[in-house]
Amino acid sequence: MEVGEYLNMASQLLPLELIDKCVGSRIWIIMKNDKEFSGTLLGFDDYVNMVLEDVTEFDYTGAQVKLPKILLNGNNVCMLIPGGEGPAGSS
Amino acid sequence: MADSDDAGTSSVSEPLDLVRLSLDEVVFVKLRGDRELKGRLHAYDSHCNLVLGDVEETIYVVEEDENEQETVRTIKKQEEMLFVRGDSVVLISPQA
Amino acid sequence: MENGASSEGKDPSTFLGEIIGAPVTVKLNSGVVYKGELQSVDGYMNIALEKSQEYVSGQLTRSYGDAFIRGNNVLYIAAV
Repeated sequence: MEVGEYLNMASQLLPLELIDKCVGSRIWIIMKNDKEFSGTLLGFDDYVNMVLEDVTEFDYTGAQVKLPKILLNGNNVCMLIPGGEGPAGSS
Repeated sequence: MADSDDAGTSSVSEPLDLVRLSLDEVVFVKLRGDRELKGRLHAYDSHCNLVLGDVEETIYVVEEDENEQETVRTIKKQEEMLFVRGDSVVLISPQA
Repeated sequence: MENGASSEGKDPSTFLGEIIGAPVTVKLNSGVVYKGELQSVDGYMNIALEKSQEYVSGQLTRSYGDAFIRGNNVLYIAAV
């Protein structure tokens, strides 16, 4: 297959469309600076600022903080994992 | 958008209004790198670039002595007038 | 913060509209936490807080009548 065709396939699901598919379900967010969040995605905007519910914040020490509802700044988001329950669920 | 922040308290409908209302007043400014300023706000813009007059600057320095004990040392400086670049601003608060 | 996404319901600006005037917790990237009443937010996530308290590693360090927080420092805004 030509490289161009791969690119074509890739463009069939835009990154933001993938995030849109996660609305209403659990999501695991890894920040640029060693912080992680897991929660239910309620909504987001073009900057990937996200509204999350029933959130757990994980810092690098392993400490967890529960937050009922937050607006997370998209500026420092590194990676989003659909269906993820945070570092506890993965390992 | 159904924003209900008109008729609110003292015409603060966007965050920068708080800074606008502090013009010619003494403000406390928290900067990145454990620095604080207290001075009269002469001017600001949307980047939070600031011009402050009659300023006291406080710098917090963490020092480690020979016993690896950490102590915080404060350095105070006075300036007649200074310009602050907006990107180092963390917080601005009008002083009561 | 115009919402370009086709998500239903709770995009960031609707959430912000809902929590104006309510008590919130704002966490900065530095780890510093501010608790206060949310006066307003703009598209840069600049925040105006009323009757706010500053916590550095869990310890109350300062109180402010009014505080403007520059948006680039904000990690999250939480409804409490």
